[in-house]
Amino acid sequence: MAAYPKSHNPFADDNEEEEETSRSGPKRGFNFDDEPEESNLSPAERRQRQLQQEVMRTAQSAVDSSYRSLGLIYESEKVGAETAEELIRQGEALKRTERMVDNMEQDMRTSQRHINSIKSVWGGLVNYFKGKPDPKPPQRDQPTGYQANSRLQDALSDSKVHEDKYQESHPNLRKLDTSGFGASASLDNDSSNQNGYPKNKHLRSAHQQLDNNLDEMSLGLSRLKNLGLGLQAEIDDQDVSLDSLLNKVDSMDGKISSTNRQLKNLK
Amino acid sequence: MDNSGKEKEAVALMAEAEKKVKSSQSFFGSLFGGSSKMEEACDMYARAANMFKMAKNWNCSVSAAGNAFSQAARLHLQMQSKHDAATNFIDAGNAFKKADPQEAINCLNRAIEIYTDMGRFTIAAKHHVTIAEVFEAELVDIEKAIAHYEQAADYYKGEESTSSANKCLLKVASYAAQLEQYPKAIEIYEQVGTHAMDSTLLKYSAKDYFFKAALCHFCVDMLNAKLALQKYEEMFPAFSDSRECKLIKKLLDAYEEQNVDAYTDAVKEYDTISRLDQWLTTMLLRIKKTIQEDESDLR
Repeated sequence: MAAYPKSHNPFADDNEEEEETSRSGPKRGFNFDDEPEESNLSPAERRQRQLQQEVMRTAQSAVDSSYRSLGLIYESEKVGAETAEELIRQGEALKRTERMVDNMEQDMRTSQRHINSIKSVWGGLVNYFKGKPDPKPPQRDQPTGYQANSRLQDALSDSKVHEDKYQESHPNLRKLDTSGFGASASLDNDSSNQNGYPKNKHLRSAHQQLDNNLDEMSLGLSRLKNLGLGLQAEIDDQDVSLDSLLNKVDSMDGKISSTNRQLKNLK
Repeated sequence: MDNSGKEKEAVALMAEAEKKVKSSQSFFGSLFGGSSKMEEACDMYARAANMFKMAKNWNCSVSAAGNAFSQAARLHLQMQSKHDAATNFIDAGNAFKKADPQEAINCLNRAIEIYTDMGRFTIAAKHHVTIAEVFEAELVDIEKAIAHYEQAADYYKGEESTSSANKCLLKVASYAAQLEQYPKAIEIYEQVGTHAMDSTLLKYSAKDYFFKAALCHFCVDMLNAKLALQKYEEMFPAFSDSRECKLIKKLLDAYEEQNVDAYTDAVKEYDTISRLDQWLTTMLLRIKKTIQEDESDLR
């Protein structure tokens, strides 16, 4: 990629660059064989040159800003990925907490039975008849890893299918049809149209670069969108399990305080 | 303002607590309910320690706080209440972190022993990570830090917390690569990468792991890197679209042609969009040096 220097007379270099650069496509550009002689230029030509420089500057700044945006998009993706990892870790911790609370409940039930039998002989008999509370299948058999939400998978394949259709239909994504750049469009003899790209070589490269960057930006943005959707789904799931955890812990709290009271009374 | 007052209180409390302990060990004390005296002593130690913490005079009183906590912990151990002992050791460790890192590590180690005894591996793992961080930051002993991170990762894996385990493993890998233990680093990155690419949320970071693994391969040998890159592309097609993959391909080409400038250009181009962090820069510089060495060899 030729980092085109700013505020530089593009046409003085045209002759030199045509030799060094190996651009694909026929040698286009202004048929500028003479050295530009500033003093001989009519005001119209001077104005034309000014405008051309202006155009180059704008194109260059557009390219630069697209690079910056691309960088920002990649940064956000990185941040999103790290957030996702943290989120998954939290989800695992939540599941673990839930398992432990279930175990605690199991233990509380056992201790309740013991207390009952201690409190009174009658209670002990009742316990005997009630039989052991079926121990829940010991949740020590670890759940097979943590499965993050899988709705994302469908979203991903969906968006890929739609992406192509989207690109065809969207007006901005149709190739730039900016002909007529540079007054010397009339000077052109070649009939092959370069896909609507401006005729000036440097302008063309700037626009090509811009297009590439925009493509990458759109890919990056779609990835970001899917990442965001996935994060949202994961957070929703964790929300649900947080609620159930809250309930369990509350009931556990009640049981513990009642057990404490009973123990105090036993004395 | 109030700090010196609190400190004096705390010191007084500690003296009282010590007296209690001594008295409970005497004949009459143990006769008349020595254990409850010990519990009270424990409480008093804990309160004293908290007051030291409030006084916030980090230099002398934090170690005082730490000492108070560890005294409390030892008492708990004597009373066979392991849980409380462990908690107090952790508090002691935290208090010592600011003053005397070595002592902090001792306390934390003892706490970890107690927890692993009780079978609470998750908490033990968490504290291994804390110790490793102390080694990273204050004592700067990378080898020990790696050892602790590995231990933590093992415990986490035992408790099926894969993502916590992966977090520790990644730290191990980055330090191992810095210390030039490339095979270890490669193994870890590949493992974590393969695990990540299956998960819907983690797959966005998978390309990063494969990139790092490929770089480690590169530091060892270029052919390895090429084969590895092909392997990763097969496993994970999305990797080929990423900029990281393109960067590695350019670097491989530059290496083949022994062209340092092309190498530098490719790196600079990547840097303009995503900043290279410290680790990446180190690795890339190492690879660049091998190119330059080869060049000078040819002369």
